[in-house]
Amino acid sequence: MDFGLTDEQELLLGSLDELLERECPESYIADLDLTHQPPTSFRKALNEAGFGSLGFPEEFGGTPCDAVTMVLLAERVCRQGLNNGFGLELLQAMDILEFGSDEQKKEILGLLAAGDVPFALGFTEPGAGSDNSAMSTTAVHYDGMVTFNGTKTLITNALQSKYLLLMAKNPEVEDKRKAISMYLVPMHAQGVTTNRLDKIMWNISDACEIFLDDVTIPESCLVGVKGNGFKQLMRNFEFERLVIAATCLGLAQCAFDDAATYAAQRVQFGQPIGNFQLIQLKLTDMAIKLENIRGFVYKTAWMLDNDVPLKSQGALCKRYSAMAAFEVADEAMQVFGGVGVTVGTRVSRLWRDLRGHRFGGGTDEIMVHIAGRQIVKDHS
Amino acid sequence: MKIVVAYKWAPNPQDAKVRPDGTVDLSRAKSAVSEYDPVAFELARRLADATGAEVIGLTVGAAAIDTPLARKAALSRGLDRLVLVADDALAGADGTRLAAVLAAAVTAIGEVDVVLAGDSSIDVAEGQVPLTVAGQLGWLGLSRVSSVVADGEGLTVERDLPGGVTVLAVQTPVVLAATADAVVPKVAGMKDILAAAMKPVEVLALADLAVPGAQVSLTTLATARPAGGERQAVLFDAADPATAASQLVGALRQAGAL
Amino acid sequence: MNASQSWVLVADDTVAAGLVEVARTLTTEVVAVVAGRLAVAEAVAHVVDRVVWLGEPADAPVEAFAPAVADLLAQAAPLAVIGATTPGGRALLGAVAARLQAPVLSGLGSVELADGHVVVTRSMLGGVSEHRTRFEGGTAVLAVDPRADVDTAGSPVPVEEVVAPPLRTARILDVKVKEHAAVNLDAAKVVVSVGRGLKAQADVALLESLAEAFGGELACSRPLAEGVDWIAKERYIGISGQHIAPDLYVAVGISGQLQHMVGVRDAKVIVAVNSDKDALIFAQCDYGIIGDLYQVVPALTAALRGTA
Repeated sequence: MDFGLTDEQELLLGSLDELLERECPESYIADLDLTHQPPTSFRKALNEAGFGSLGFPEEFGGTPCDAVTMVLLAERVCRQGLNNGFGLELLQAMDILEFGSDEQKKEILGLLAAGDVPFALGFTEPGAGSDNSAMSTTAVHYDGMVTFNGTKTLITNALQSKYLLLMAKNPEVEDKRKAISMYLVPMHAQGVTTNRLDKIMWNISDACEIFLDDVTIPESCLVGVKGNGFKQLMRNFEFERLVIAATCLGLAQCAFDDAATYAAQRVQFGQPIGNFQLIQLKLTDMAIKLENIRGFVYKTAWMLDNDVPLKSQGALCKRYSAMAAFEVADEAMQVFGGVGVTVGTRVSRLWRDLRGHRFGGGTDEIMVHIAGRQIVKDHS
Repeated sequence: MKIVVAYKWAPNPQDAKVRPDGTVDLSRAKSAVSEYDPVAFELARRLADATGAEVIGLTVGAAAIDTPLARKAALSRGLDRLVLVADDALAGADGTRLAAVLAAAVTAIGEVDVVLAGDSSIDVAEGQVPLTVAGQLGWLGLSRVSSVVADGEGLTVERDLPGGVTVLAVQTPVVLAATADAVVPKVAGMKDILAAAMKPVEVLALADLAVPGAQVSLTTLATARPAGGERQAVLFDAADPATAASQLVGALRQAGAL
Repeated sequence: MNASQSWVLVADDTVAAGLVEVARTLTTEVVAVVAGRLAVAEAVAHVVDRVVWLGEPADAPVEAFAPAVADLLAQAAPLAVIGATTPGGRALLGAVAARLQAPVLSGLGSVELADGHVVVTRSMLGGVSEHRTRFEGGTAVLAVDPRADVDTAGSPVPVEEVVAPPLRTARILDVKVKEHAAVNLDAAKVVVSVGRGLKAQADVALLESLAEAFGGELACSRPLAEGVDWIAKERYIGISGQHIAPDLYVAVGISGQLQHMVGVRDAKVIVAVNSDKDALIFAQCDYGIIGDLYQVVPALTAALRGTA
């Protein structure tokens, strides 16, 4: 079993390290977190160096890439302390590349190339979070046009995006699973209003309520097949869960390194606190969790690359990685003590950002719902 | 036009283990493209893109400089192809010997217009070899180059010299050594990294090159760790900067350093 | 080989005293070959036994004379050739080394004659080790800090002009002279130096105040002089920058990399200020403060001024 890196992976990581050093130092990230701004200049630099088109099909100017390499890069960027630093734009774009019209593909790829976030994912509603088939936003088709009405909430990056990838249902179809379709809706369409929500984490991404009030646009905004919204959405969930897990891994590693360095330097009672067994216990168990997350993430990526059926692997990986990563950050906060909750100490940001991954991209509990059923099914 | 970028694949002496007798163990040190050479790669690529020229990487040294990773690390920096001379007869070779081999390789490549090099190597840090290469080739060699652009039949070169920035009209062939900050080199791009394995590599055998023999040799009589003694650091924690500062000033005054 | 002669290579610069010094330790007869202006040849004529001048350069760069210099040296075959560690000096040395197929040695400590051979001590691999090395089989080629202007007291020897056409492949079109105050770090007893720990160019003022409070000069590590260009290049200390030996060297926000520290190894007392307890410099200093330079530097300035 070869746990080493290929030459290409080493060179890619080396290049990424240079980019991170130049374009994404901690002072940059801390400032974005404080001012609630997106990392646009870093994204642009990533794209200029070609990293933005990794994983895309060649016909769209991309460079196909295996999941293991994508995860290596995502881990490295997040290890710098930047939440959701890599891979998520690709994920979103995949939906369009697989199911969108030629015009939609061209539009989205153009936005990616410019370093912009192509679209915000418009799924969640006040009444439909984990239970997303309970959504009530409607899409009524009539005479070559479609009219949307409804409310979406907790939509990430709405203010930075040109488009909303909207999930809406045909009110005339009974079966929830067959009613939902996927649409690419311009954020500036008449009738779309946003309300920014103040939150305590993921500050580099805004979160908004989006109100759709008789938004009427041509039917060509439909992505893929009418009624297939759900099926289309599920296609890339596994990869999304993997990227989230890799993100958690990177952020947790960063928190761990900060805590271990602090423990080696902070002197109390005449010696570094790293000499005390209770601190050593924390650090040891944190290291074990990181090894576990790492093994889980890379094996899952390997399964994807080798066409091994995932079944519930993605859900298991996401659940464990998000929870264990948060535990690592929480213990890191404890190692820091009072200084850890000051804004100047990075670990407090890592703690906040990691908390979000336990419900973002599917809650811990939904992962049980997915995996649990699969396990019983496999054994009956 | 043909542009050759002469670069070095070497470890950072910072990572060396120096034994008590002054001999140096570099076995744990990882080699990489020498720190300032990417500036030369970048200048070469820009000049080539403006003129339709070809950029050929060139490096010489012991057999260990030829690994797949080393080849790709160079090829991912804007080269069209790579030429190597890797022979253990060159292990520990001095700069003039390396320059002789580089020059012979440039001649073997043929019809080269410009040889570009970096400011100085990470391990020897003298900035001598490119100028000795010029001497071996009988060409003009100019260091401290901060800019090179194609201009009609020749080049316009700017040099960052102590007296001021000097602008010259230069005809090829020429050897140019760039300053460390002539340009900020682009980070090796993803496409270039992934395409590196596909680019042509030619290994020239040392025995096939017309390299003049060394006339003057060196004998090492003794090696030692640098004198300078161990400095015993007296450290002050700046939990209270004002206290630490006054303690330091006091200590310096007592020691007669102020 | 003409063992009683040393040659110095002068590249259009009267700063050549260091070259002649080394030559004089090796041989009684010192010949200078001068590429560059007549005024330089005339100045050098005061300190050597023979001056060979290659004619007015007009708009040719001094490097264009390198092959002609190499020709002369090949004919003369002296015990040693000494050139300057300047851009022009290294170009002349390169051509000579290629013609004689001889290594060029720099980073020299001592230079002496032992049993008719030139023996030097020199710093290796950026300063990690020192070697004592003997030349054999031909002319010793040495690269040396030219140090200072030659002393023009005393009577000069005649300047012999030799017809030696330079390479005609380059012409100087323009020189944009840099306006900056001359700085002599060599003479400073105290030097305060700053590195990458500094976050913004505006903060250089903090260090200037500290230097002033110490009564010393300001210097820096390489990244601040190149790349960001916050401090003049003449103030950069390091393996290819200035090498100084002040009584007191205060390194602020400098990690202590080999390539920098080799420039101040001979300082009497080294003080380090750095926020990283593991910084290399703390193993190479006499006194250190582990802390944030933005707090320590003002505190130090105040303590020195007695206003703490």
